[in-house]
Amino acid sequence: MEHRKIRGNGVDIHVAIQGPSDGPVVLLIHGFPTLWYSWRHQIPGLAALGYRAVAPDLRGYGDSDAPPEISSYTCFHMVGDLIAIVSALTEDKVFVVGHDWGALIAWYLCLFRPDKVKALVNLSVPFSFGPKDSTVKPLDALRKFYGDDFYMCRFQEAGEIEAEIAEVGVERVVRKILTYRTPRPLILPKDKSFWGPKDETIPLPSWLTEEDVAYYVSKFQEKGYTGGVNYYRNFDLNNELLGPWVGCKIQVPTKFVIGDQDLVYHFPGAKEYIHGPKFKEDVPLLEEPVVMEGVAHFINQEKPQEILQIIVDFISKF
Amino acid sequence: MEKIEHTTVSTNGINMHVASIGSGPVILFLHGFPDLWYSWRHQLLSFADLGYRAIAPDLRGYGDSDSPPSHESYTVLHIVGDLVGLLDSLGVDQVLLVGHDWGAIIAWWMCMIRPDRVKALVNMSVEFHPRNPSVKPVEAFKALFGEDYYVCRFQEPGDIEEDFAQVDTKKLINGFFTSHSTRPPCIPKSVFKYLPDPPALPAWFTEQDICFYADKFSQKGYTGGLNYYRALNLSWELTAPWDGLQIKVPVKYIVGDLDPTYHIPGTKEYIHEGGLKKHVPFLQEVVVMEGVGHFLQQEKPNEITDHIYGFFKKF
Repeated sequence: MEHRKIRGNGVDIHVAIQGPSDGPVVLLIHGFPTLWYSWRHQIPGLAALGYRAVAPDLRGYGDSDAPPEISSYTCFHMVGDLIAIVSALTEDKVFVVGHDWGALIAWYLCLFRPDKVKALVNLSVPFSFGPKDSTVKPLDALRKFYGDDFYMCRFQEAGEIEAEIAEVGVERVVRKILTYRTPRPLILPKDKSFWGPKDETIPLPSWLTEEDVAYYVSKFQEKGYTGGVNYYRNFDLNNELLGPWVGCKIQVPTKFVIGDQDLVYHFPGAKEYIHGPKFKEDVPLLEEPVVMEGVAHFINQEKPQEILQIIVDFISKF
Repeated sequence: MEKIEHTTVSTNGINMHVASIGSGPVILFLHGFPDLWYSWRHQLLSFADLGYRAIAPDLRGYGDSDSPPSHESYTVLHIVGDLVGLLDSLGVDQVLLVGHDWGAIIAWWMCMIRPDRVKALVNMSVEFHPRNPSVKPVEAFKALFGEDYYVCRFQEPGDIEEDFAQVDTKKLINGFFTSHSTRPPCIPKSVFKYLPDPPALPAWFTEQDICFYADKFSQKGYTGGLNYYRALNLSWELTAPWDGLQIKVPVKYIVGDLDPTYHIPGTKEYIHEGGLKKHVPFLQEVVVMEGVGHFLQQEKPNEITDHIYGFFKKF
């Protein structure tokens, strides 16, 4: 595995790359709050099969640049970064795999540059989070539905959640988030009770080692969470800027996978969207969605071999 | 002119005033700065007679359409969003598109980001240039033409509005529309103190026309239109995803040989020697109109109608 910095779109992006330099590129896009590292089990597997696996730390994360302004974190900035990375590595179309925010960015990548994407495997976040009529601001709708303590609402005020994380400690935050398995929308009461008492140990599941946790902790201690949280602070602005794509369909062959314990699967309307006709209407080339029983949000880390197999089985068709 | 219908359409969070006439395949006309739907008054009537439905909105910030207060609401993404919403509300899947000046810039971007909504494009006065990832556009203009270049003078909110206010409205509008100067428009503050009286109105720009523009711009002001320039750098930042992408819509490009844009160094070579075609591979025709200035659809309405019709007939 090679670690490289690619400069494009005004930022240096750290990428982990493995596989033959002429292999078809598989771009793996992480979410919040993880890193390129969340694909550690899929990268070698893809490389061994002759693919060129490329996993960036997104803007704001890990060893990539984190511009200070909140306005530098719209989905247009992110897709701009990814286009710069892809263009630096290949002129061909690429395979894209996304998880969480990475899945949302992957949907936008397919909307903006279908000419660059051969096929898409998206994990956890369906296209129901795509562009909507701009008269309703997404954050207003979320706040109305889930209240002010819904995690996305708690992320809005610059510095607020960062101060809370600093007080609770990055180690506890990393462990608490990665082990979260409650099949309900994430509520963070302002009394910090979500994180549990300071002396409570948080045991790790079999799929997460102390080394894994230590890696995440070290990177988030270095960088902080502001970069990643800034993505959420652009929710309303993203929707405003996505006007040209309201009602636009995804025209890329797509595989979608979600765990049935994933909090996203339990957002109101999510199951109906995923299993009903709307998802297929919006994404005509969507294969039958896969729901993995007993699996929570961090699916590519919890079920690494299964996810690798799903990716490989799908992209080998193209 | 009475046959032209005026409606208000709710789109992309704004109310948009739209002038329309006729029935048949839809042609969408996009005006520039400092202009209005009215720029297309001749074409609206002609194309209705030719069996088309001709539609010309006041773009966001202009005339009888909404003008959100912040310049950040005037990126190319906002304007294209307005137009896609307009097409959706009209039930139009694919449109024939005509653009002039800023309308041409918007048209290029509409073809770049929603090529599926555009059947063919006739664009006028402003060629397509791909984004330079290393240099913001306002800084590029400043380096090329200096800080008195109009794009640079338009940046500071309120500044140029103050200069404009020193000049009689009709005199200002006459200056904008009828100038045949081919020099890059540099407008130091001093220009507004001693603006010479313009020559008599040309035949194609009547007292009635001047009054229409004077009326609308006195009401609305210029800030809405100026905000497009103030959002140039922001638009640049947000359009990174489309670096390297060609515009894949059939295009006809028209410019007057007295248009200042045609005299920007390098432009003639760019248009005629393959530069533009590299980025717009389906560029089919290029027309340079002799002795014609910037507002060509008003200066030579019949010729422009013929050029547009000749091209759109093919689709």
